[in-house]
Amino acid sequence: MTQQLIAWLDERLDLTAIRHFVEEKSVPVHRHSVWYYMGGITLFLVGVQVATGILLLLYYRPSAGEAYESVKFIVSQVEFGWLIRNLHSWSANLLIFMAFVHLFSTLFLRSYRRPRELTWVTGVLLLFIMMGFGFSGYLLPWNELAFFATKVGTGIAGAVPFVGDFLVRFLRGGDEVTGATLTRFYGLHVAILPAMTTVVLGMHLLFIQRQGMSVPPSVEAREKAGAKTPQIPFFPHYVLHDVMWWYVALAVLAALALFLPWELGTKADAFAPVPAGIRPEWYFLAMFQVLKLLPAHILGIEGEVLGVLGFGLAALVLLFLPFLDRGAAEGRSSKLVTIGGILALAYMVVFTIYGYLAA
Amino acid sequence: MSASDRPSGPGTIQRRSFLDIVLGLGFVSTAASFLYPLWRYLNPPATVEAATNSVIAGKAAEFRPNSGAIVKFGSKPAILIRMPDGQFRAYSAICTHLDCTVQYKGDTSQIWCACHNGLYDLAGNNVSGPPPRPLDAFAVNLRGEPGQEEVVISRT
Amino acid sequence: MRSLILRMFLATASGAWLLLCAGPAGAQPAQATGCETCHRNEASESLSAPARDFALADVHRDRGFTCVNCHGGDPNATDKAAAKAPATGFRGKPSGQAVIAVCSNCHSDAALMRKYAPRQRVDQAAEYATSVHGQQLAKGDTKVATCVSCHGAHGVRLVSDAQSPVYPLNVATTCTKCHGDAEHMKGYTLNGGPLPTDQGEKYAKSVHHAAMVERSDLSAPTCNDCHGNHGAAPPGVDAIANVCGTCHTVFATKFALSTHAAIFERGCVECHNNHDILEPTDAMVGTDEKALCSTCHSEGDNGHKAAMAMRAGIEKLKAAISHSEEQVAAVENAGIEMGDEALTVREAANHLTVARTELHAFDPAAVQAVLDEGLGLTTKVDEAAAAAQSELSFRRTGLAISLAAILLVVVALQLKIRTLKPHA
Repeated sequence: MTQQLIAWLDERLDLTAIRHFVEEKSVPVHRHSVWYYMGGITLFLVGVQVATGILLLLYYRPSAGEAYESVKFIVSQVEFGWLIRNLHSWSANLLIFMAFVHLFSTLFLRSYRRPRELTWVTGVLLLFIMMGFGFSGYLLPWNELAFFATKVGTGIAGAVPFVGDFLVRFLRGGDEVTGATLTRFYGLHVAILPAMTTVVLGMHLLFIQRQGMSVPPSVEAREKAGAKTPQIPFFPHYVLHDVMWWYVALAVLAALALFLPWELGTKADAFAPVPAGIRPEWYFLAMFQVLKLLPAHILGIEGEVLGVLGFGLAALVLLFLPFLDRGAAEGRSSKLVTIGGILALAYMVVFTIYGYLAA
Repeated sequence: MSASDRPSGPGTIQRRSFLDIVLGLGFVSTAASFLYPLWRYLNPPATVEAATNSVIAGKAAEFRPNSGAIVKFGSKPAILIRMPDGQFRAYSAICTHLDCTVQYKGDTSQIWCACHNGLYDLAGNNVSGPPPRPLDAFAVNLRGEPGQEEVVISRT
Repeated sequence: MRSLILRMFLATASGAWLLLCAGPAGAQPAQATGCETCHRNEASESLSAPARDFALADVHRDRGFTCVNCHGGDPNATDKAAAKAPATGFRGKPSGQAVIAVCSNCHSDAALMRKYAPRQRVDQAAEYATSVHGQQLAKGDTKVATCVSCHGAHGVRLVSDAQSPVYPLNVATTCTKCHGDAEHMKGYTLNGGPLPTDQGEKYAKSVHHAAMVERSDLSAPTCNDCHGNHGAAPPGVDAIANVCGTCHTVFATKFALSTHAAIFERGCVECHNNHDILEPTDAMVGTDEKALCSTCHSEGDNGHKAAMAMRAGIEKLKAAISHSEEQVAAVENAGIEMGDEALTVREAANHLTVARTELHAFDPAAVQAVLDEGLGLTTKVDEAAAAAQSELSFRRTGLAISLAAILLVVVALQLKIRTLKPHA
């Protein structure tokens, strides 16, 4: 039946190129190959986000007067609305988490080395876009916690030298977080960022398909010495593995949606006193906590300005890491990158936990 | 020892086809468990809109003249009054004094709060007792065929 | 000589006419008179200010009254001596009883007042005579307030004018000008002790002040709402419950039924104070140190038992309400509509408010009856929440089944992958 369908299509569309690609593509197998699946899981979660996001659009209303009520409506009146919203919220968090896992695995395995610099750059850009999704999506239910967290979050942009005030106004769509901010974030969340994702993700996937899977330097060294790395066919072996991992992710998502329903909280009120325990989403918490801890002035410069500049510099280093770590292409794994990666990972874990305990 | 080393005897074929059946069933049942909620989600819910701006109180005929009824407006109560002349009025049913729910007093045609004896007139104005300000007014509209009209209360 | 006599006669006649007929028929603002022409240019502030203030904004001037209506004199005279000659009826600056006489000349004349302010009362002078101010004045005490002390003399504004010193928001400031001044109030006594001067400060802490100033509720009481304005005096001990009861009717009715009505000498004030009336709390009732009941009642007496029972009942309903609220919130958060139950919880909160009112009859049985109704409502809500919880566990079962199917696929895939041939 399937064969007949393929034959029918082949006759009309000439699937030779695709068939060749599917038949000939193979994936290396070694002790680190489990990390290959992390990107696939992230991609799957992006798919979940797109699907549940589109579904939420059917009932969501992006205005300060109705946003909270419409989310409440989705959760309590629409059948299985609670499930869709919980999936969207949990999947978003899982997605960012998997993106970080994917990032650190490619970092430690030096997969970014020549000729895959652009794959890395697009990947880091995708991570930034995903964080933008998280930041803008957090406000959309228009609840108290998100309202004040967005106020603080967009306020941080004010510390950027020279253009800070402009940035704050630009992000908020005005001087304060208002209904205008909500509309703006909504546009960002459902149109601008998805469009950017489509382009950058398309490039990211295209590069991977053009270049095939990277093998870690240790395996590469062995190959140079004459050893043959075992391969598995992309289809069906690798695809089945991928599907299996997707199902695992799905199981985790379902379990989270089932046992830890996402809170909606109370409706945002600009004139209410700031509630206790304001904090951003967990993936911004480490940064937030550092900005909070910085003294008011360091060497005559405002602490927050210095912090924001520091994070900006870190983002640039991350983005252009393949061009900074030139030795990696020659098989020299820089100790600096390993130590830096470990430190960054340790910083994120420690400060995220610290941020939670401090709030 | 991998599967290919083994001679492909009848047992292997049976196990494989059994596995394929299980896998197929698994895919079908998981697909069903995705599609069923999806279908239910896409179906318009019983109340088609979040009750932020308007709510249907019921059929006009259900309300006698010179009576009042408490109607749920979002998560807060509203009072729908049918005045002695048959006209409808609606207000927030939350007393402006201490948030008690007000009620209609037929003998004096006033809105009354039992907690501290606050009185409002049928224009929603506080006329006696502790309420510091008038009740918030809602708009009332009748919708539908004559004799079958629905009473729609909405925010002004 | 003859001309002078004639002029004096004419001036007297015209002045007397003006005073007697008290004002022009038409309510046109009065033009500047001869008095003002000279007084404006007086070097002394006390002589020039009245002319300036009167010209600026004055309810009397707006209705055509001039200086002579209160002060007498001849505005047409060109020299000072003639303008203030005795025959003109000139009376200078009235003080003490004379102020009352000048004002009441018109304000106690019902027929005249009807032409200008038909709704206005005309018994202010009579009321004033009953006030502490009026009685002291009659005894010859000139430090006390007269009409002008509160309303001003020149530049008198309507009470409804927000700039008037007797506009509701300004009353407390006006009264405390004297009553907050310890030096001024020296020598006055209340119940044998010196008259306190902290009423203004105490009032500023009260719920009434909060309602008036913070919420701009002009119907909230200020000094004159309890003490009277023209007949200002402290309410008599037996009148306190009546005074509070003018607004707090329900409480007054309940309190009148209670055993305390006969025992509490100062009525409501015994528990709620007079000027510093704070937001009442549930902690006022009970038997612990913070509670007021324990000032008189001690372990074993009936009042002690009643206080304990009423407080316990109120706390129980409060706990039940917050428990129900949590239940409803938890269920709603999990995605089940609980709007009706949320309304029922509100209804239970109403019962709590009614119970707090009922408490003023100090009858535990009556309070408990209301509380029981409230508890019945919270029980209903809790039952509905429990039913919703079982609906939730039904959902969980459904999701658990699909979770099982997902895991089955995972396992089957794992096995399937093992059966695949490795790549050649």
